[in-house]
This record gives sequence, C-alpha cells and structure tokens, in this order.
Amino acid sequence: MTDTEVRTPAPASAPPAKGNVALAKAALWLLRGRTLIVLVVLVVIFSAISSEYLTQSNLILMTKHVAINAILAIGVTFVILTGGIDLSVGSIAGLSSMIVGGLLFSGLDVGTGHIFFSVAVVIVIGIIVGALVGGLNGLLVTRFKVAPFIATLGILYVARGAAQLLSDGGTFPDLSGTPERGNEGFRFIGVDSLLGIPVAVWIMVLVAAAAIVVTTRTPFGRRIFAVGGNERAAVLSGIRVNRVKIAVYVISGACAALAGLLLTSELGAAYPDTATTYELNAIAAAVLGGTALAGGRGTIIGTVMGAFVIGFLSDGLVLVGVSTFWQSVVKGAVIIFAVVTEQAQQRLQSSLNKRTA
Amino acid sequence: MKVFRKTALAASAATLLLLTAACGGGDDSGSTSGGGSAAPAASKLIVIITPSPDNVFFKAEQVAADAQAKKLGYETLVLSHDDDPTKQSQQFDTAISRKAAAIILDNAGADASEAAIQRAKDAKIPTFLVDREINKTGVAVAQIVSNNAQGAGLGGQEFAKLMGNKGEYAELTGKATDTNAGVRSQGYHGILDQFPDMKMVAQESANWDQAEALQKTQTILQAHPNIKGIIAGNDTMALGAYAAVQASKNKKIIVTGFDGSPDVVGSILKGGIKATVLQPASQISQMAVDQADAYLKAGGKTDQAEKQSIDCVLVNADNAKQVTDFAVSG
Amino acid sequence: MNEVVQAKNVSKSYGGVRALKDVTFTAYRGKVNVLVGENGAGKSTLMKILSGSEQPTSGEILLEGEPVTLSTPRDAQQRGIGIIHQELSLFPNMTVAQNMFAGREPRRKGRFVDDREQRRRTREVLNRLGQDLDPDTLVGDLPIGQQQLVEIGRVLLEHVRVLIMDEPTSALSNHEVDVLFRVMGDLRAEDVTVIYISHKLDEFRRIGDFVTVFRDGGLVAHEPMSETDTAWIVRQMVGRDPDSLYVRNTSATGDVLLDVRGLTVLGPTRPLVDDVSLSVRAGEVVGVYGLMGAGRTELVECLMGMRPADAGQVSVRGRVETRATVQARMDAGLALVPEDRQRDGLVPTMSVRDNILLATIGDLTRGGLLRGGREQSTAAAKVAELAIKIPGLAGLVTSLSGGNQQKVVLARALLTEPAVLLLDEPTRGIDVGAKAQIAKLMAELAAQGYGVLFISSELAEVIAMADRVLVMARGRLTAEFTAADVTEEALVSASASEKVLE
Repeated sequence: MTDTEVRTPAPASAPPAKGNVALAKAALWLLRGRTLIVLVVLVVIFSAISSEYLTQSNLILMTKHVAINAILAIGVTFVILTGGIDLSVGSIAGLSSMIVGGLLFSGLDVGTGHIFFSVAVVIVIGIIVGALVGGLNGLLVTRFKVAPFIATLGILYVARGAAQLLSDGGTFPDLSGTPERGNEGFRFIGVDSLLGIPVAVWIMVLVAAAAIVVTTRTPFGRRIFAVGGNERAAVLSGIRVNRVKIAVYVISGACAALAGLLLTSELGAAYPDTATTYELNAIAAAVLGGTALAGGRGTIIGTVMGAFVIGFLSDGLVLVGVSTFWQSVVKGAVIIFAVVTEQAQQRLQSSLNKRTA
Repeated sequence: MKVFRKTALAASAATLLLLTAACGGGDDSGSTSGGGSAAPAASKLIVIITPSPDNVFFKAEQVAADAQAKKLGYETLVLSHDDDPTKQSQQFDTAISRKAAAIILDNAGADASEAAIQRAKDAKIPTFLVDREINKTGVAVAQIVSNNAQGAGLGGQEFAKLMGNKGEYAELTGKATDTNAGVRSQGYHGILDQFPDMKMVAQESANWDQAEALQKTQTILQAHPNIKGIIAGNDTMALGAYAAVQASKNKKIIVTGFDGSPDVVGSILKGGIKATVLQPASQISQMAVDQADAYLKAGGKTDQAEKQSIDCVLVNADNAKQVTDFAVSG
Repeated sequence: MNEVVQAKNVSKSYGGVRALKDVTFTAYRGKVNVLVGENGAGKSTLMKILSGSEQPTSGEILLEGEPVTLSTPRDAQQRGIGIIHQELSLFPNMTVAQNMFAGREPRRKGRFVDDREQRRRTREVLNRLGQDLDPDTLVGDLPIGQQQLVEIGRVLLEHVRVLIMDEPTSALSNHEVDVLFRVMGDLRAEDVTVIYISHKLDEFRRIGDFVTVFRDGGLVAHEPMSETDTAWIVRQMVGRDPDSLYVRNTSATGDVLLDVRGLTVLGPTRPLVDDVSLSVRAGEVVGVYGLMGAGRTELVECLMGMRPADAGQVSVRGRVETRATVQARMDAGLALVPEDRQRDGLVPTMSVRDNILLATIGDLTRGGLLRGGREQSTAAAKVAELAIKIPGLAGLVTSLSGGNQQKVVLARALLTEPAVLLLDEPTRGIDVGAKAQIAKLMAELAAQGYGVLFISSELAEVIAMADRVLVMARGRLTAEFTAADVTEEALVSASASEKVLE
C-alpha cells in the first residue's frame, strides 16, 4: 500500500454562497416534484383548450389508458432500480397476450381434442409465462453474465417471434368464450367496471400498492436498492445479489404479462404485434418519474406519475387533434426534459450535501 | 439457491421450447420448399417477397403466390421484408445470388424499392409487383394492384349510405408514410365530401395498429360524443375502433374497414362491423405468378400492360357469406 | 551540488484535511533521491504536484532555480518532468509499440502513423531495458512486471530531465529490479535526476543517493543515504510513540474462533494466497502486516467467501466451513469491514440508517414487513454505541466524514453478531483522531470476546494495536511476532522477505 492520501472528495468548484442555499433548496424541491408539476401543467393546458378534457368520464378513460403503461413501467422500475434494464416487456406482453388468446379461442391441443380452461386459469397461465420469460432474462443476466441491455434485447426478439409462431402470424379474433367451454368473462379485466371505475384501473392501483409495499417496506425491497446502489457492498452484506436480480426480472415479466392481458381483454382480440415498442414508453415513464438508470434511486409512485404524464399527454394531444407527427415530437421533448431536470436535481443535491455536510 | 436457479432455468427453457414446438406446424416462411432434394436449376426458382404475414392480407397474398408457383412446377423462396426497405434490398441480393427466375414483390416503399428492382433487372431477373405500386415504370415487368381509389370510392359510398348521408364521423388513417393510406383517405373523401351534412370531426392516424386504433377511438369518442360513424383505412384499425365502440355508451356507431379480412367478414356476419372493401389479394398473386410463368416461357416477353389495376369488391351483410380468403365466390 | 527541483513551503489541503504541511523538498541533479514514509505521509501528493496533476494550495515550485507553474501533466512533461505511476496506465488491448507512442505517434507525411519507425524506436528502448520483446505483443498478454517496464520505457522515450518513480518495483521480480536499477544507473550517468518512492528499505539503500522521510504530511528528515541506516530510517518514519496514540488490547484470550489451514488462492502468475495457516482466539487482536500485493486483501476476501479458495480449510468456532459464500461465512460468524469503503462498503444512494441495517434487514420484520420503529432504534443504538457523528439517520451516508463512514460499515458488520471481525486497513484515509477511536473500538470488541483480525500497512499502528502480528509477502506468511518481540525493523525485513515462515 502506498499513499492513497486522504480520500475526502474535493469540494465542488464553486459552492453556492450561504444566501443561495435557501434558493437552491427551493429549486431542489421544485425539481423533486417535477413530475407532478408537469402533470398539473398538462391538465391545465389541455382543459383550457378542450372542455372535454377535464370531465369525469375522460379522466377515467385516460387513467384506464395509463393503467397498461403504468403496470409495465412498475415492473421495469424494479429492474432499473437494480441497475439493469428490461427491453423485453413489450414482447412479453405480446407473448402472454397470444398465449391467453390461443387458450381462449382454440384451447390447448392435446392430440385427441382441445381442452379449454376457465378464464381465471388462463390468466394465471399467461402471467406465469411472463414471469418465466422474465426469469430467463434474469438467468441470462446473472448466470451467463450477459449485459442486461443485450440479454433483454435478445429476449425482445425471441418472445416476439414466439408470439408470432403461436398463431403463425394470425390474430385470435374472438376471446369472449362460450358457456359450453366454460371460458366466458375474459372481458372483465379490460372492459368492465367496478363502482364506476374500470377494473383495469383497480388492477393498476393494486399492483402499484403492492409494489410500493415491496420496495419500501420489505427487506427484499431494501436489497433491490442496495444492489442498484453498490453491488459490491451488497455482496459483502451477505445479499444474494443474483437471486435479487432474477427476482426483479421475474416481477417485470409478470407485470408485462398482466399489462398484455389487460390490453388483450380490452381489445377482445389477440394479435402478435400487441404492445410492440411499449417497452420504450415504460422506460420513459420510469425515467420521467425520477428513476435513475444507473440504479439505486427511484420510487414506484414516481413511475406511476411518469406514466400519467405520458398517458395524459398522448390522449390530450389526440383529443385536441394535434397531428401524429407533432405528438411524437412533443412526447420526445418531454422525456428529454425529464432526464435533463433529473441531472440538474442530482447536481444540485450533491452540491447542497457538500454545503451542509 | 442452486436448486431454485436450475428449476427456473429448466422451466423457462421448456416454456420457450414448448411454445416454439407447438407452433411448428405452420408454414415456415423463409425456407425453400418444394422441388425435391436435387440441386435446383437456376431458372426454376421464384422468390416471393411480401410484408409481414402477421397481417392476414399479406398472408393470403403470400400463400396464393406460393401455391400457384408450385402448381406450375416452380420452387419457391418466401421472404418477408416487414416494411423495411433495407431488409428488402438484402432479400433482393439473396434472390440475385440464387439466380432466381423471377421475383414476386409486394414492395416496402414506392420510392425506396426502385433501386433494388433495377438491380434485379440488371441481373436479368424480372420482378412482378403486386398490391403496391412504384412510381417509376419500365423497371418492373408488371405492376398488378387492386384499385385502391376505386375501392375507397365503394367504401365511401357504403359508409355514406349507412350514415344516411348525414352526421358526425371520424376517420382512422393508416401509416402516414404508406401510399395506400393516402390513396384510401382521398378515395373516401372523394365521396364523403360531396355530402354537405356529413361532418368529419376527427382524423387520426392509428398506424394500421389495432390497439392504437382502440385507444385513439376511445379518446375521440370522448371529445366528440355525437359521432355516428367511424371509417377506418384498414380492417385491423376497424376492429380496434369496433372494440372501442363496444366499450362505449353508444354501441350503434357505424364502423367500416378496408381489406376484406376474415375477422372483419366474420364481424359483418354477426352484425358488428358494417362493411369492408375486399381487395382480391389471392387473385392478384395468382395473376402475377401466371404472368411470370408466361413471361419466362416466352423467353422474356409479355403481352400485358405493365400497370394493371384490379377492381375491389364491397363486402357487407348481403354478400359476406360468400367471402373466403380474400376472394368472393359466386 | 545542483538543485534541479525544489518545492518551497508547499502545502496542500483536500477539503479540510491537510495532506501536505509546509514542505520544502529538494532533488539533486544526476542523483537518485529516495522518498520514504507511511501511507498518507504526503509523498504521493507532493509527486502529483511536481508532475502537474495537482496544484499546491500554497508555496512554489522551482525548476533549475526558476519559479514555474505546472498546471497540467503536459506542462510538466514539456519541462522534462516524467512520472511513472504505481498504478499502470497502459492500454491492455494495444501493442507494446502502440502503448509507448500512445498520443504522440510518429507521423509520415504528417498524417499517417509511421508504424515502422514506432517499432524501431520501441525495440531500442526495450533493449535498453534488457527486454527482448516483440513490439507487436499485446500489453495485456505480458506479465505484470514486464508491463511495468513498458510503462517505464514510455517515459524513457521522452527526453526527461527529472524522472519520478512511484513504487515501480512493487510488481517486479528480483531480476527485473536489477535491470531497472541498471537503467537508473545509466540515467544517473546521463545527468537525469531520479525521484524514487519506495517502501523496500533493502532495495532503495542499494540505489539511493539521498533519502527524504515524510511523516503526517510533513518532511521530517533529509540526509545523504551514506549517513543513514535502516533503523534510523524506520525511526524517522514512525516518529511518534505509538502507544500514546493507540489503545492496546489487554483482554485475556479464550477459545480459538477462527482457524485457517493451508489456505491457497491461485492467481494468474503465482498464488495470491499461498498455503496460509493462522488462528484467531477470542479476545485477541491479530494484525497482518505487508506491502501492496502481498495477498492480505485476497486472504480476507477468501475467508469471507468472496473469492473461492483453491486449497485449504477454514473453521469458525470449531466448525469446518465448507460453503464459501458471503452469506454462509456471515452465518458462521465472520464479518468483513473492507479496505475500500467507497467501492465495497457503502451504498452511496442509501441513508445512514439503511446502510447500517443492510446486512441484517431480514431480522427486522413482522409478517414480512419491515418494522420502522425497530429499524430506527436498532440503527440509533449502534450509532450511539460507536459514537458515530451523523446529521440524522435519514441523511445520505455520503455526507459523512471518512472516519464516520468507516464506523457505519463497522456498525453493519457488528450487527451481524460475528465471532471474528475482519478489518482490512480499517484506519486508511481517516484522520488521526478517528484512527485512535477505531483502535479503541477494536480493543473494546476484543474485551467483549470478539476475535479481531486486521490488516494494516502502517508499522506504528500494527505494532501498537496487535497482540500478535503476522507478516505477509508474496502471498505467504513470512513471520509472526508477539507484541513483546515485534520491532519495526523486523517487520520491514519480513515484509520484503522471500522466506516462508515454517
């Protein structure tokens, strides 16, 4: 060992003067709440343009649209918190959609005939398939040490291809089921409402609540943050890092499958391109909600807010009749804005830390 | 830990294998079929390139061309460019290097495809275009397309009739970069704009996609609750729009599509979607293969005009029963 | 005598910590000027200032009597000051020749890299270093010693007037050291000034003309080599009376808690840990002394299950531990406070509380959910017990000082209720007061019946704190001393020894 000298980091080049600290703190507070602020601004702008925007029925509809992306994004957030990334969620949604579609429309071919399962069983199968494909992501990342970006990119193609193979590219057009087969009622999760609120929204609320509890109130949640914050320290603290990583990919896969099922139920049909490129919206929602792509930092509630911003923005643009091309431009700009402000928040935070340390 | 991992690995691998095996029965697009094991004579291979067979329309087109070519004693190589001109270009290189006798193509873009077709021509391989045109003439031997403008006219007339020539409606258009999206929209408006009482209150692109059509229709219905009808640029969008209508308060909203896909024909039979315009996909493919065969047998000559336009057929409750696989019988 | 380089009244502070205190240092033309001192004594800081990568907080640098400003390493290079860092700065994916000329490739027609010229000059330099190497060999394929020589060759390519070498021999074999010393002799004959940092007393006494000793950021002695002896140098390095600073463990020893037999970890060229056997008893503080690369960190990492052992047996509390995972070793009763807090210890994105509880969070639940109150009270108890100074339990751990960060990691290890605590350089990078506190804690822990095994590179510290000192060199244990018979000289000579302890 030679001199490594004192390891205290050098102070920021120009620390804010005393009087600026209060200002910096206020700015930081605004930056932390930026997702909510953006959401409020969006609602105000669109309500001013269209009287239809801020009606109860439109809010419910938009929230229902948000639900699918929010559930995908919650799953992806788990992965990003560990410092990984999951690009395969759109494809997993498509795959489970096709599996559920196939089981409801044509049943399981057992050679002598076709077996049909009840809707509940089919839904469970769909989610398990998603979880297993997620587990495959996890194994590639841990056991085979494939970079998460590459592993999930590979699975993106594999799962999409599997979805297409299931029907040879075709669509399962009618998922309403029949009484003889005992598989009616798939429309419940995507179309029906409970107490005036769509079932899909209730499901989103349940998933979000469960995710919040897991991330903030369980040892497993704490370990997720530790793995993303400093993997080596997590190892040394006796955390089974690989197990945590596999678990988050399984969660992400299961959430993706669930989102795929909601989409399919709402559509009443399963087609292999279901949820193509949805992974990008999901990642955008997570980032918009303040999840750091480097891992270790982020919240489920932030992600849900991010999904609301994206959904309320997209639907608002459609509602007021903005052209498709401009919709793309605006969405991209909002995402970039989110990342830029995230960086600003980090810088401000660390310079404040140094001031108050 | 170890056990956990192994089980998970085995289960995941098994799932994928099962999935893949369960679907093994389908047509493997991309592989050479027919012919037998002997090395193929260069002149007996027809390469069929279409957009993704995810869409039943292209699937029908592909299957019809493949079957017709095999019937005439050719080997086939069936490829899909997924609407990616770069991929299409690479597939042309494959066809050239395999010394194909002819190429049947549903192209990936009017302008972006010319260079590849010219390259094939330079290599003395004739290309027969189906379904979609290119802007240049003299490059491909034939361009056999369904008459989208005529078809859209039919669709527009039927939609107006269903609406009683008045009321608010919305239009879902296809991918803005696709020529047919524009042609169909213009065809619809050529008719609809003649009725002063018909008012288009929203026009959105749903990129030919079912789920996107669903969500956008829901939002449109939110903004314009008095809408009486939705006219869609293709059948998948019509299906998405119809699902949105079913989930809304006004289930009587009229939805029409374009393509004549089995799913929509089925919906018409059940009184769901009201009408669609059938493009004779199978017929066009068969014509292209027949003309390629004649061209090759005549030693590189054709007596057909390059641009050939095949009329579309309106499908509604009256004739839906007679429709199978993009063809109206009887 | 000719003063080439002079640092006059140079001070350097990082944040509030003074790494260099008013140092006036002189290096003489055509001489080998040796710098010695313990970790954190300020040698490397001074060299960073002389080579332009750090700026002094106050004071000035004179080159040939002229005041100069060295604001970048490039400035220093242009003035003929070259430096060979202890950590290699080579590109393993490039060839020897490409590495030597990286960033200053010879050009042909002013545009294209002249590969032939590059190879020719590389071969010349390699010959001078006694290396018959193909210039097209990938650097990554060379053993570490030869890589070090490539690094040295890189500096020799330039016309250097002053050559700074920061522990260049730590990775070299004896033969390679001989070659290097011959080259240094040549350089001296060419009137090049060499500033040479080393820990190896027997080595630098062979080559040095002058010796300068640093301690605690200050220059404490400067003499011609001929007027010194090893004992004098060690006395200057250690300086203070160690026992006045550190609390010594006085507790009675009990059962053997950790017993290691024949532990071996293979490395790319030689074993990193070579047939090491040791034991730690309850109530005992055992120190492991050695130089960089001696295998001490690898030893504790292997004990903790972070590195697989290739041979040997580890028993904790009399039970042979077969499963070599961190979790298993933690359950068995081992806990490690790692050497590099930032890299291996702390989760910078988490709060003080969460960092403290990280290893034992699974015990603080009811019905699967965390009990916020228990979390708070458990963490608060440890903070009080170890006297950790924090702004609040919810504050980010990165806002703490080095010593308090170290205590956070220590608190986490203690919460796992270990039998034996492994501490890798526990006092590294923290100030003197915090060092004394850590030492006191270690003694207290021993008194409570823990076994403590700690690694240190500081002679004074290891002598003052350990009941027993083990010395490692080249992966092997080379000596063992008790508190009664340990001396600085014995430690230093054992740490450079090739001999294995029988």
